[in-house]
Amino acid sequence: MSLGNATLSELRKTATLPATWAAVTLTLLGSVAITVLNALTVRRALSAGTPELVADTSSFETGFTAMPIIGVVGAIVVGVTVIGSEYTADRAESGGARQITTTLTATPHRTTLFASKAMIVLAFVTMMALVTIPGNIALAGAIIGDAGTETVSLTEAVNRSLGTALYWALMGLLAFSITVLTRSGIIPLLVLITNSSVVSFSLLLTNVTPLAHWLPDMAGRNLFGFPPESVVQGGLEPVPGAVVMGSWALALLVVAGIVFRRRDA
Amino acid sequence: MNLPNVISAELAKLRTLPIAILCAVGTVLVGAAIATTLAATATEQGGSAPTAVGQAVPFAQVGIILLGVLASAHEHSGGQFRTSLAAVPNRGLLVTGKSIAALITVALTSLLTVGVSMGVVTLTHHPSDGLTAASAAEQWRLAGAVVYLTFIGVLSHAVGLLARHLVPALVSMLALVLIVPPLLGGLTEHARWLPDRAGSLLYLPGADSVLTPGTGTLVLLGWLIATGPAAVAAFITRDA
Repeated sequence: MSLGNATLSELRKTATLPATWAAVTLTLLGSVAITVLNALTVRRALSAGTPELVADTSSFETGFTAMPIIGVVGAIVVGVTVIGSEYTADRAESGGARQITTTLTATPHRTTLFASKAMIVLAFVTMMALVTIPGNIALAGAIIGDAGTETVSLTEAVNRSLGTALYWALMGLLAFSITVLTRSGIIPLLVLITNSSVVSFSLLLTNVTPLAHWLPDMAGRNLFGFPPESVVQGGLEPVPGAVVMGSWALALLVVAGIVFRRRDA
Repeated sequence: MNLPNVISAELAKLRTLPIAILCAVGTVLVGAAIATTLAATATEQGGSAPTAVGQAVPFAQVGIILLGVLASAHEHSGGQFRTSLAAVPNRGLLVTGKSIAALITVALTSLLTVGVSMGVVTLTHHPSDGLTAASAAEQWRLAGAVVYLTFIGVLSHAVGLLARHLVPALVSMLALVLIVPPLLGGLTEHARWLPDRAGSLLYLPGADSVLTPGTGTLVLLGWLIATGPAAVAAFITRDA
């Protein structure tokens, strides 16, 4: 099978997987809900004449607050389920087989299969970013209107949006690679979702050793560009952090690809 | 089949599920490791061992959530659930036995986690390091940590019964307990009614101005009452 055909078939498989749409929908709805809540609070403070009660009256910051973290969880779920669904056993009366055997029968060339799956993860996370990021910012802008003072310039807004989309894409690819290695979605989901919350193992490790700032999720967290007073200080700058996180994603993709190519199923 | 037989059967199923054993052992080890790490920073601030253990509880709850979800969802991958229904046709009895077995498993793991963490912290950090001795109130907080972890485990079990699939139940519980509270907490004070925020009063001193440890427990009970009967009703009325 050619790469194009393999990618199209993987696209169809992922598009008909309920977990993918659940992740995309919940990312969109969850971030919209929190953006609406945030924007209404800001508008109420502005119309009451007490803008100092809220941290920021910028509509960009209002729309940007919750969306990055929720999107990371969505990207992780997409990355994990694209390959994790292949290794889920069927029902016992249907033979208890895993979908991976059918997939490998249809596409015996494993590198093609791996590359097409990785591209589909990238495609779905990019689509999610294209809808969620501008949508949230526009929604916050619509609710707050002209009342707020915009503290974020256009170039900075574009940079931060692209940085967030990059973080989501790299996190999705990381989740994909780790799930290829573990062949089950449970542990990657548990570890990665925990790491993207405040209860983060990597963040805890940074208290023990500064080397932990080179872990992929720690290296890339400044890509979101949150104002300095609301994040834990330290870590790499956005661009070096993006390079480090990209290197991690590439390295894990290569390792997972080699393992996928060589082992049984 | 009577209830003790069903409970022991469910406990045997969990005992022989490799990932459940790994999860329980992993929770204990991770809790102890993180408590020791946090105790290193706590000694600089003049804290005590129970404070470090209390700060490790949010990390340990992740393993407890997986354990609770496994207790209910492990039978639905494959056809084992139908075998269970053939063995115990009385669904009310089956769900009661499952829930009590999950409660026992989660409570035991929570107890071990808090106990081992406390022991490891006390052993590795001598009082001369700057770690103050535990007062009576702090010892009650350790008990509160066990209660909180058990509650979260049983809540995860209820969500697993409702969802019937491991991944949706796991992602929902993790989002409810880890992702949503910090995001909502920065926006509205009503985030205190979320289970982990209300439950944190059980093991963290004075975390909230409105809720007390007693009312925090009531809020947790409220969450259980909201999900438990729904899970039981779904279990009894749905197909399989």
